[in-house]
Amino acid sequence: MATEIEARPKQKVEQREEATRPEAYFQPPLDIYETQDALVLVADMPGVGGDAVHVEVDGDQLTIEGRIRPADYDGMKPVHVEYGVGSFRRRFTVSEAVDREGIKAQMRDGVLTLRLPKAAHARRRRIPIES
Amino acid sequence: MVSVYRDPFLALQHELERMLTGAFGSAGPTTTGVYPAVDVFDAGEEFVVKAELPGVKPADVEIDVHEDTLTLRGERKLGEPENEAAYHRRERQEGRFRRVVRIPARLAADEARAEYRDGVLTVRLPKAKEARPRRVDISVN
Repeated sequence: MATEIEARPKQKVEQREEATRPEAYFQPPLDIYETQDALVLVADMPGVGGDAVHVEVDGDQLTIEGRIRPADYDGMKPVHVEYGVGSFRRRFTVSEAVDREGIKAQMRDGVLTLRLPKAAHARRRRIPIES
Repeated sequence: MVSVYRDPFLALQHELERMLTGAFGSAGPTTTGVYPAVDVFDAGEEFVVKAELPGVKPADVEIDVHEDTLTLRGERKLGEPENEAAYHRRERQEGRFRRVVRIPARLAADEARAEYRDGVLTVRLPKAKEARPRRVDISVN
């Protein structure tokens, strides 16, 4: 029997002080798992279409960004609010060397799946997994 | 309220934030609630209920409208990870949900429509005829 889900508050991205746009971004909740040959990242970004995702690798920094469609909210007057709405952004450090050319992204039903193949030298290394 | 945003979406975002803060105190929402969280909008002729349900198959969601009450019921399944996968982070949740939302107006329940796009469920609940906004003309003699 599956458990009940709890609604957790969306986490806002702290705005950098130099940000010129007053737009709020949210941090997508994510799963990251590692297989023999890849790191797989799965992020919830509801409202983001397949053409509105941006993935950037800079050294060991990985940034994902997904933009929602503001037009979906045209003419809407909020009367009861439980969550804020906005685009998504999250940046983190990738501990393994990743083969940038081989990165594959798929966006489906508001879920981004990012497959980051390990670079050849990282793949050869044996990775001990604590039991 | 004075809005400084010329962009209507930024104005809306600001208003949502203000209403969230008002409902949960200055620290913002910190408690967990019943899944999924919903936003309810008045779009004139209808109420629009939005819920973020990323990765949920439409076939796994049941939507009922009865009088002034909307019920969302379903299950979110994340799927099995690959063999021998070692998790570094696990923030996404799976499981069942049941959410009841009362709308503070009479609805034309049989005209309700629902759409699921990119992980967002949008339910449109037309107001009952007598609850829709009406323009009243002044007759001038």
